[in-house]
Amino acid sequence: MKSRREFLKNSCAALTMTAVATQMRHFGVVDVLAQESRANDVTAGGDYKALVCIFLNGGNDGNNTVVPNYTAGYAQYASARQSQGLALSQASLLPITPPSMGGQVYGFHPSMSALHPLFAQGKMAVVCNVGCLVQPLTRATYIGGAPRPYQLFSHPDQVEQARTAISSYKSTTGWGGRVADRTSTLNPGAGIPMVSSIAGATLFNIGANTSPLVVTPSPTPLNQVLALNGFGTATDELARRAAMNNVRTNDLNFTMVQQASILTQQAINASAQLSTDPVLTVNFPATSLGNQLKQVAKLLKFRNELNMNRQIFFVELGAFDHHSSQLSPHASLLTQVSQAMKAFYDETVAQGIDSKVTTFTSSDFNRTFNPAGSGSGVGSDHGWGGPALVVGGAVAGGNFYGRPTSNGTFVPTLVNGGPDDADQRGRFIPSVSVEQYAATLARWYGLAEADIPLAFPNINNFATSNLGFMT
Amino acid sequence: MSAILDMFRRSQVSMICSVLICLVYFSAVAIAAMPEDAPILISEPTSTRALTSVQAGRAQTTLAKVIEPSRQRVVTFFVTNLDLLNGEGKTAFRAELEDSRHYRFPLEIVSFERTAERQNVYALSVRMTGLEDLGDVLVRVTWRGMSSNRVRLAVGNFGGKIQDDPGSVPTPMPSAETSRTRQQNRGDLPWSGDRVRFMSQTTFGHNAALELRVRRLGYSTWLEQQMDEQSFLAYTYPDFPLQTTVPAPTCDGDTQPTDVPITCFRDRYTMYPLQNWFFKEALYNENQQLRRRVSWSLHQIFVVSGRVATQPSRMLPYIQILDRNAFGNYRTLLKEMTLNPAMGQYLDMAISTNQNPNENYAREILQLFSIGLDMLNPDGTPVLDGQGNRVPTYNQETIVNFAKVFTGWSYCNQTCGISQPGLVNFRDPMIANQANHDTTSKTLLNYAGATPIVPAGLSPDADLDAALDNIFYHPNTAPFISKLLIQQMVTSNPTPAYVGRVSSVFRNNGTGVRGDLKAVVRAILLDPEARGNVKTDPNYGHLREPVLYLTSVLRPFSPTSNTNISVPASCNGLSDGAINTITQPLDQDVWNPPTVFNYYPMDYIIPNTPLSGPEFQIFSTGTALKRPNAINQFLPANSTAAGGINAVVGAASNFPCGTRINLARLEALAAADTTGGSLVDTLNKELLNGSMNPQVRQQILTAVQAVTSTNSQKRARTALYIVATAPQYQVQR
Repeated sequence: MKSRREFLKNSCAALTMTAVATQMRHFGVVDVLAQESRANDVTAGGDYKALVCIFLNGGNDGNNTVVPNYTAGYAQYASARQSQGLALSQASLLPITPPSMGGQVYGFHPSMSALHPLFAQGKMAVVCNVGCLVQPLTRATYIGGAPRPYQLFSHPDQVEQARTAISSYKSTTGWGGRVADRTSTLNPGAGIPMVSSIAGATLFNIGANTSPLVVTPSPTPLNQVLALNGFGTATDELARRAAMNNVRTNDLNFTMVQQASILTQQAINASAQLSTDPVLTVNFPATSLGNQLKQVAKLLKFRNELNMNRQIFFVELGAFDHHSSQLSPHASLLTQVSQAMKAFYDETVAQGIDSKVTTFTSSDFNRTFNPAGSGSGVGSDHGWGGPALVVGGAVAGGNFYGRPTSNGTFVPTLVNGGPDDADQRGRFIPSVSVEQYAATLARWYGLAEADIPLAFPNINNFATSNLGFMT
Repeated sequence: MSAILDMFRRSQVSMICSVLICLVYFSAVAIAAMPEDAPILISEPTSTRALTSVQAGRAQTTLAKVIEPSRQRVVTFFVTNLDLLNGEGKTAFRAELEDSRHYRFPLEIVSFERTAERQNVYALSVRMTGLEDLGDVLVRVTWRGMSSNRVRLAVGNFGGKIQDDPGSVPTPMPSAETSRTRQQNRGDLPWSGDRVRFMSQTTFGHNAALELRVRRLGYSTWLEQQMDEQSFLAYTYPDFPLQTTVPAPTCDGDTQPTDVPITCFRDRYTMYPLQNWFFKEALYNENQQLRRRVSWSLHQIFVVSGRVATQPSRMLPYIQILDRNAFGNYRTLLKEMTLNPAMGQYLDMAISTNQNPNENYAREILQLFSIGLDMLNPDGTPVLDGQGNRVPTYNQETIVNFAKVFTGWSYCNQTCGISQPGLVNFRDPMIANQANHDTTSKTLLNYAGATPIVPAGLSPDADLDAALDNIFYHPNTAPFISKLLIQQMVTSNPTPAYVGRVSSVFRNNGTGVRGDLKAVVRAILLDPEARGNVKTDPNYGHLREPVLYLTSVLRPFSPTSNTNISVPASCNGLSDGAINTITQPLDQDVWNPPTVFNYYPMDYIIPNTPLSGPEFQIFSTGTALKRPNAINQFLPANSTAAGGINAVVGAASNFPCGTRINLARLEALAAADTTGGSLVDTLNKELLNGSMNPQVRQQILTAVQAVTSTNSQKRARTALYIVATAPQYQVQR
């Protein structure tokens, strides 16, 4: 039987396009991060690992996602948020007791009931106070003008930095793409690109040598996400198809024509691979995130047929930018996140790969601890460091992780204008940089130790590249 | 310092002159396969190897056969066949090399000056640092969307496997009077190519009547006609009554479970009616093509989303501001936009008070609507500090201060004539409640000539005007807005010279007025970088976004209502405009951009290239095949069905008339010329502005000829399908 790789090689158009793609990768961009993969080859199907990034676009209010539930901590929280109506009631919080916080009780947002049990089961961890940084900062060094992320508090820039894990300059590659660049040899004979996005082409997915497969979410069946319609099998139909393919190999000296051509060819190649629609065990909620993760689960189920050993997925949920009227829409978004992540985790259990798939959240930034507005219109403005959630069988779950803040714990001092605030409104200075968070995940995924500083160029500015939340 | 530089320049030029003198002998050689208006890079007399000089040491230049990148940092090439505007210099040019591996490297141009000996020859110097020994490479310069011939250059050493471009010939130093063989452009379509591109840039697509009108009037007069205020004032918008914020349990407000009409919710609380209106305008309103096109571009800068506005009645006043000011003044647009209730709702200004100021509008008006994040030169390039870093335009403190300015404004629910009890007034501009306004002093943007401090105690309106003027007169506003409009209409990567020319018109329209968008639009469209018969610069143009891609395929072929059923007489034979159903899966859901950062971000870089390509953000493997599928829906080549969007009968139908196109004239061409040549050449002219590559023409002909010659319908559909789905068409060049 021919392998998929041979199939591709034997396709005339595919060969031509490969040459083009190689050419374009080096289009004047001499990226120091572009290096050959160092990871060792593994036998196909020998082991499998996947990372799934859930991007909470708009800036999730982490202050209302993970809340102190012990008496003094809740009092501090309530004093900052209650009078304007942004505090969650203490009774409604879903309690968790992370050992690293010395027995203090915290609580998840009441909408996260689906996900809540995974914490106690040790399948879910919270990484505290993650955000974009160029180097470690304190309130004093920040106010003193120490280097900080470019365009701090601006959405597109902080989204970009959360996706590139580089905050000192505008990177043209994302961290998912760069990890894929350097682990590509783990995927010999892969039927589709290592990186797949269910949420469009975003910077997270792009490496120096990596472009994502972009597919639409469920309910579109997997074998229809990339179908080219309207061709028959008669001679003149084959001639039309051939002409369409041939035309695409011309005028490639025009860069945009070439890029449109490459993307079309990639879609046609992938279309040939995604020929069936796997059936899942678990029912997914019919929400935006549920449908995206459902499509990821289908791709996971198809991993052996596609000859994949390593995969990185990107999904996204928007509308977290709650400057006003936050409470109800935020609750509904967290319900969606919680239910979709739980369904996805359950499906990985059903597929027997729960310890091979790690799902994690990322966001532009946390929001201001200090509310914006009051009453039913209350919201919050752009903040900085906030909590991230990591779920999977390989997670050292049931605990909080991070780096010490001014108070010595992983959780910043929740006081507006306090020792961890960048200003007066509770924009908490991150104690964990995005690259520390990402590098911990990437190491588990199989990124070689020597490649970590190459994939995360600022990582050596920080104390450690391993936060310890992966087993 | 400058004396040394002058001395260097003089000696360099005199050295160049001696080169010229010894080469005067060779002249007047015809250049094959080059458009007559392309720049020419000068080669050695008898080869395609570049004529260059290098900076060998201070104040010396020498001719060099081999460039050694480790030592020779600047190489001078010689360019001719130019016709420069006043002030047009090095920023109008770009240079790049391609090596034998076919990797392309942009080269920084460090100087560009006329040679003393030859009025028609210019010395263009580029920096070569950062290159390894590449062997022979090919070098081109581009200017106004045109590529020069490519000349050979040895970097590090001679040789290597790179081939000259087909038809490449020596291009020696011209004699004083250049004479060249004139070369017809591709497709033998002299200058009609420019007209078709002009229509792509100014309208929602070409059609025969429009083409004839532009040909008769000329560009300038046609633009004036489109900008005419009288015809716009006579235009009547559809009427959407304001609705309550929360729909009644049944939309029509009675107690019956079924709404009358059944489409009540759709028509009052979704963008559906406005989407249909938009597409009908795009397809049929020939008098407002340019205004709607500019308005559509402005919508993608001043973004409000129907996802938040929800009601067409709330969205339409916002659209009317865009339409009304498309050829008005940017300052007026900025104020009307700031006080528009839909914007006030979308970016939270309507709830921002002195007690609880909201930063959202303050941030976005600066970042997206006016000055952007980085300090810009007048030509749109970023200002760099001593360390080569970009310089931020503002910081968090600036945002806090602007947020104070914008406090206190909200919907005019009581005092405006139109206000009705229980309804939020999204029609009249927001009004200020003095009690909610922050009257402390504000420190705004500081720049040369600015009045950054707004004193305490001013009225909300005076504060607002001071702040908007502070933004309006910022040096960034002209290049920032000019470049965005160029990217929307013409090309994703305009040269700094082009941006500079347009932004100078933004600063002063010629009669001392700043921000005159009519003059700005005219300057964008009549610029030499927008005009010209063919564009051969490999980086020119932009990807057609889904809306323009689709309307551009429909408009040339007489879009009508569909014929799958008998449609109501009220359709008047026209499409119902219910076409968003096609563009939405292509990630452009009309009037519903996902965020304030538009359907696609304007600063998107095409992966693996150094090029801007905003529209590429929504062109991915996931949408790449949906584009041909959309074309297939309108012209199913493997079927005899009418194609298009079927009309559906019934009161609840979203497609009362449907949409189809009519390829009868293409079918007639197919029948009259059984070689298929007329058919393909017509598509080349009307869709590809004459840029079709001869090989592509042959490939399409092969497919056309595979269809039996009596089946004109299938021949026409086959040819149009291949052209419309080709990347060469999807990229507007």
